Amino acid sequence: MSLCPPYAPFFGLGGVASAVSLIKTSVGAALGTAKSGIGIAGLGTFKPELIMKSLIPVVMSGIIAVYGLVVSVLIAGGVQPKDYSLYAGFIHLGAGLACGFTGLAAGYAIGYVGDSCVRAYVYESKVFVSMVLILIFAEVLGLYGLIVALIMNSRATEAPACL
Amino acid sequence: MGYLSYYTYGFPSFLVVVISLYLLFTDSGEAFNVGRFLEETSPYAWASTGIGLCIGFSVLGAGWGIFITGASILGGGVRAPRIRTKNLISIIFCEVVAIYGVIIGIVYSAKVANIPEAELYTRENYFTGYALFWGGLTVGLCNLLCGVCVGITGSTAALGDAADPNLFVKILIVEVFGSIMGLFGLIVGLLMTSNADTFKGATLAVVSPFVH
Repeated sequence: MSLCPPYAPFFGLGGVASAVSLIKTSVGAALGTAKSGIGIAGLGTFKPELIMKSLIPVVMSGIIAVYGLVVSVLIAGGVQPKDYSLYAGFIHLGAGLACGFTGLAAGYAIGYVGDSCVRAYVYESKVFVSMVLILIFAEVLGLYGLIVALIMNSRATEAPACL
Repeated sequence: MGYLSYYTYGFPSFLVVVISLYLLFTDSGEAFNVGRFLEETSPYAWASTGIGLCIGFSVLGAGWGIFITGASILGGGVRAPRIRTKNLISIIFCEVVAIYGVIIGIVYSAKVANIPEAELYTRENYFTGYALFWGGLTVGLCNLLCGVCVGITGSTAALGDAADPNLFVKILIVEVFGSIMGLFGLIVGLLMTSNADTFKGATLAVVSPFVH
């Protein structure tokens, strides 16, 4: 069994796809945007002047999508047809899955928190600060995944040379 | 309701356990070989599946978004007919997602060329096959999610507009954030296949002992 079989890019490219789409950051970002958007529309019918401040959950969901994009671009730059070991392929797959699943969780959290907090903001304006704090904690989940994915990706360059 | 979880989790696990034990006990454990499967399937299978899923999922997302938004526009338009023309923007946002799928489908199909079987199985052709598969899946699923998201926010924009005309532009901002996902899928799909050449024959092809 060689170190650089021809099917190694299958796993590396799977990592790229995982980071941005399959289970992952896109699902989180889409959930976050849609759920918070429903809450914002509800808020807007009662207090239109508060809409701009309530766009924060939507922006944060967009940032989750950007994390996925960054990891995908980085991994896609490293996958190539020649001189690509199975080691690098599996590391890229793992990095993509790390970023993807954490993005999914973060987006899910941001969506539900954003929706409830924005609906509460109609009645009580003091919840805004707590909303931002909770959203920051949810966002940081996605950031952890990004960090781990970047660390793993940097290890993939130490791959053994192909014969 | 408990029986549903038996069917979805219990039955597949049971099948997996039975099949793996069968392979183990009949001395054919070597038959389970992921590497062999990946090497002996034709790159055309991967490439074509990717392109098909790309356009399929993109159009599914666009259609889903359009019906979610359209139902709300038509419903809201009964009591507030002024919303009908302005909210067609949301429908166009969903349509754009299908256009992305078409573009990527055309760009990917340009990489598929006819090569005789004996010269097909080279490293570069394997890479192109995998890249088109994963790229198509990425673009398709990103567009699917984007289309549904834009559809939901478009529906709330229409109903908000029916309640108060000043709300429309503000909720449109949320829709724009939703549509960036389709764009990211497009970017990553193009990046993945930038290293992939079109299918090329080679004099000294067949890198794998599993291909006959």
